[in-house]
Amino acid sequence: MNHNPQSSDGKHDDDSALSDFLASLMDYAPTIPDELVEHYLAKSGFQCPDVRLIRLIAVATQKFVAEVASDALQHCKARQAAVVKDKREKQQKVIYLCLLSFLISFGLSDPLLEQDKRLILTMDDLSKSLREYGVNVKHQEYFADSPSTGIDPASREE
Amino acid sequence: MNNGCLDNRKKEHDNSQKRPKSYKFGSKSDDFALAIAKVAVAQLCESVGFQGFHLSALETLSDISVRYIYSIGKTANLSANLAGRVEGNVFDIIHGLEDLGSNLGFSGASDVDRCVVSSGVVKDITHFIGVSDFIPFAYDVPGFPVVKESTKTGSFWEKEEVPPGEHIPSWLPAFPDPETYATRLSVENETMGVSNGKKTESELERVERKMDRSLLNLQLRFAHNENKGGSSHGSGYVATESNPYLAAPLHVGEKEVSPVVLPTKLSNEVALRNPVHVDVGNHVSVLETFAPAIEAMKSGLCDSDNGKKKLLYDQRPTVRFKIGIGKKSLGTISDFGSQNEEDLLKIASWFGNDNEKDDKKDEWKKF
Repeated sequence: MNHNPQSSDGKHDDDSALSDFLASLMDYAPTIPDELVEHYLAKSGFQCPDVRLIRLIAVATQKFVAEVASDALQHCKARQAAVVKDKREKQQKVIYLCLLSFLISFGLSDPLLEQDKRLILTMDDLSKSLREYGVNVKHQEYFADSPSTGIDPASREE
Repeated sequence: MNNGCLDNRKKEHDNSQKRPKSYKFGSKSDDFALAIAKVAVAQLCESVGFQGFHLSALETLSDISVRYIYSIGKTANLSANLAGRVEGNVFDIIHGLEDLGSNLGFSGASDVDRCVVSSGVVKDITHFIGVSDFIPFAYDVPGFPVVKESTKTGSFWEKEEVPPGEHIPSWLPAFPDPETYATRLSVENETMGVSNGKKTESELERVERKMDRSLLNLQLRFAHNENKGGSSHGSGYVATESNPYLAAPLHVGEKEVSPVVLPTKLSNEVALRNPVHVDVGNHVSVLETFAPAIEAMKSGLCDSDNGKKKLLYDQRPTVRFKIGIGKKSLGTISDFGSQNEEDLLKIASWFGNDNEKDDKKDEWKKF
């Protein structure tokens, strides 16, 4: 780090803050393992033997993922709140009951009830939160990754 | 700034498309890294508060996080190279982070001549470390990818050997072990001695045997068989001369053949009566006639696992053996021309390069 002797005190503070931060990374092991980051950095052509910098990238990625996930969680909670509100009306509808009985006969639980209980990361919420970060992901309509896949859009449109 | 937008657009483009086969992130070799990323992302999701996830969502998120690392590395490498360096440093990485986070925005992004050291991105990350819980990765990750070290054949100089000829400089790679080729020559010499010392035929044989040089063990056995064949009949010259594998394939009616059909027991007498037909007799179906002999040899051998090699080996002695016994089989098979050709074709299909071999031999014969 090139320290300019003419720099102001604020810059000096920033400088020391950065070096302190980097030094603290030596002890901090991020959730994303160093080997994974090293692998993809090597793939991108970036080479650096310093573990601290690799950890810096790992922490940045971890921050990114955590932010996306927490946004998705908020979307999930908001959707569930909306679902709970509409649930009474919906349950009176014949179509829904038919579907429900159909699902139960196949040994599956009520999708709406199931969603009430648990917070699940779904493609819908993820694509919504990722859109804010500039990543455009579309949920594949035909991708049946849960029993409620075919039902959800229809019930939400109503 | 511009770079970040481009990167994001590229990312969008990549995600909207289905993964092409050749793309780095979709390749089979990347499965391990992606699996690790999936575990890490799942841990992070759990720490945020999720209780479960759909597999498709998890895969998407881990894929995007991996691409995030990749594009940071790409941008950081770009700025390092722009500054004339090969290895990146903190500022390159901060540049990369700023580029990637530019569409989200960070504190101080609007300042034109801001210092990288006091970047808002780093402050955000520092803040994040302070806030977030410490979650270690669930598994011990071995270093990957594992690169297998290849064993090189050293040069003459490294092996401390003297090159066999003065024209070979010592820095060239050393020859393989002499057993693989030198003993081969001595075996050939033996066969030369056995087969009446005819130089032309030994030359032919050498050409013929170029195919299976490295089969030393088999060759030794072969030599043994050959010796037996040669000594028992004493007509090695006729053997190579009338070897159907050395001759060009005959067409129907090209060679005049007496259509003799006789029971097997009379065949000896026939052969005695018509000694001219010995040559013709050599063109009979080799495999059918010597099936018992081949069977016996097969049982006597420890077969190599390569079927082709075995066949190669079997082929030789039959050629040899045929000379003596050919007389017996003369009567059993009629219609020599077509039969012979069929056999040749049959054998040629087993050994793809037999035709080349035949051509070579034709050339030799012309000389």
